[in-house]
Amino acid sequence: MKILLEAVDLRKTYKIGKIDVEALRGINLRIREGELTAIMGPSGCGKSTLMHLLGAMMKPTVGKVFIDGRNIGEMSDAGLTSIRREKIGFVFQKFNLLPTLTAGANIDVARHIHGDTTRRDEYLVQLIQMLKIEDKMGRKPAELSGGEQQRVAIARAVAKKPVIVLADEPTGNLDSKNSEIVLNMFRELNRKLKQTIILVTHNPELVTFTDRLIEMRDGVIVSDNDPYPDTESELAQPARSV
Amino acid sequence: MNSQIIIAGLRARPVRTIVSILAVTLEVILILVIVGLTTGIANETAKRTAGVGAEIMVQPPNSSLFLALSNTPMPRSLGDEIRKLPSVQAVAPVQVQVNSSDGVEVVFGVDPASFNAVSGGFIWHEGRMFEAADEIVVDDLWAKARRANVGQQVQLLNHAFKVTGIVEHGKGARVFMSFDAVKELTGQSDKASLFYVKLKSPDQTKQALAEINRLLPGYTVRDVKDLESLMTTSNIPGLGAFINAVVIISLCVGVLVIFLSMYTTITERTREIGILRSLGASKLFIIRLIFEESGFICLIGIVVGIISSFVIRNVLTGVFPTLVVDITWDWILRGSLFALLSGLIGSFYPSVKAAAQDPVEALAYE
Repeated sequence: MKILLEAVDLRKTYKIGKIDVEALRGINLRIREGELTAIMGPSGCGKSTLMHLLGAMMKPTVGKVFIDGRNIGEMSDAGLTSIRREKIGFVFQKFNLLPTLTAGANIDVARHIHGDTTRRDEYLVQLIQMLKIEDKMGRKPAELSGGEQQRVAIARAVAKKPVIVLADEPTGNLDSKNSEIVLNMFRELNRKLKQTIILVTHNPELVTFTDRLIEMRDGVIVSDNDPYPDTESELAQPARSV
Repeated sequence: MNSQIIIAGLRARPVRTIVSILAVTLEVILILVIVGLTTGIANETAKRTAGVGAEIMVQPPNSSLFLALSNTPMPRSLGDEIRKLPSVQAVAPVQVQVNSSDGVEVVFGVDPASFNAVSGGFIWHEGRMFEAADEIVVDDLWAKARRANVGQQVQLLNHAFKVTGIVEHGKGARVFMSFDAVKELTGQSDKASLFYVKLKSPDQTKQALAEINRLLPGYTVRDVKDLESLMTTSNIPGLGAFINAVVIISLCVGVLVIFLSMYTTITERTREIGILRSLGASKLFIIRLIFEESGFICLIGIVVGIISSFVIRNVLTGVFPTLVVDITWDWILRGSLFALLSGLIGSFYPSVKAAAQDPVEALAYE
């Protein structure tokens, strides 16, 4: 299977005042096309930092991150922006929808930034139906429940057909019922649309929805049930969009 | 899509939006109304001078175009000398007085016969020509502004005068009195501040100018036709600087308010900027968004400002009929450009700051 994401000896150090804090201390991992992976660990273990690095939101202090064959450590800000625009879809714990726009406009903004100025195509219509938000398109985020907001956020992340969807604590602000709905949505996206998804969470219940579990503690991976641990890197070969 | 984001953002913060638009509106009003007032006064003065009907105006050496600024007297007998020139049909001596008790206005002391000979006579609304030294004739706009009627006593130049007639405006001054009245005021009746010269034929203007210049070397001799182009704000001492000051102050008001507005916006919307950056929006996209938003505010402010300026002009001229506010297309264009420029300058730093925000930090902003 094609490798979409690879981290090699990944380290990230933050400077807080005069103190250096090591958030990641040598992460090695590979994410393959079509995988639904959970990265789990307690608060402060470096999950969000890893997600930001895998999503080209920042550069590593040491090590390499290859996204679809391109090392983000060598990229300018414009290059990172381009990677986020073309390859990555984010889903956040706090939904992060633009509060002044309707649900539909929030989805359209992502497509607009991606450069897609056409009307909503069959794929998007199908996606919106799958997420059961077709009757919410004209509502603003404040008029939606948390679960509905998160489903809109998922639609926004997936609308531009990214190579990978990164979800940071996607159920962190939801009750158990809505959490289950949202997780089922992720699984459906993965199964039906072959969307590669990484869920970052500290919720152990979430891992039952995923194929692979990576556990982290204190900035390192302590376990990884990688079903293909010996897969060779195919970094030079960019993958097709899902 | 950008316009959708911008309009939604503006609607979400109505007070900030309205204040920003009002600041740009004020900027445009300041420029259009104040420049309109100054150019209006200059143009109207030129038109009134041309309205006398003379082809040539003779003043003492080094005199200003603006009669209120130049009151050096000449002997009235010079008029007789000018009248003898072959191309001259009539000469009207005028003794200019400046009344500053209720705004600055020019009062003409004239000899009715010679003034009528040059101007073709007043168009009378009502009443008659002054006869005594305490009588004046006023134009219709002055009468309307002062609510003066024929037969009414008015205070002018610290004296009481009776209005004996109201005439159509446009003959040099708004108030006319006899040389006897001027003598009462100044003790001089054989002096003139200027001579209006009517020629036998307007075609002889060039020749007459040469003749008068030969007769009165060093005196200021002007072709009345040139007055309108000469009476610009740049020819009024200090007025050009005043207009520049008004424009700069207006620009500063616009820049500061737009700056404050856009700076507040990007602070309030730090998280939104982080969201856009996480979606892959480039720095240029963010900069464009901020510029477009300030441009949109400026455009509305410009339109409201232009409409308001015309409303203010109508109110001003309704309340003060002698005022003239010339709102010209070139100043509408300049005022609009200044307003857009203020938006551009005011949103420059906020847009760059917004674009430079780290997406991770921006997303964590509460």
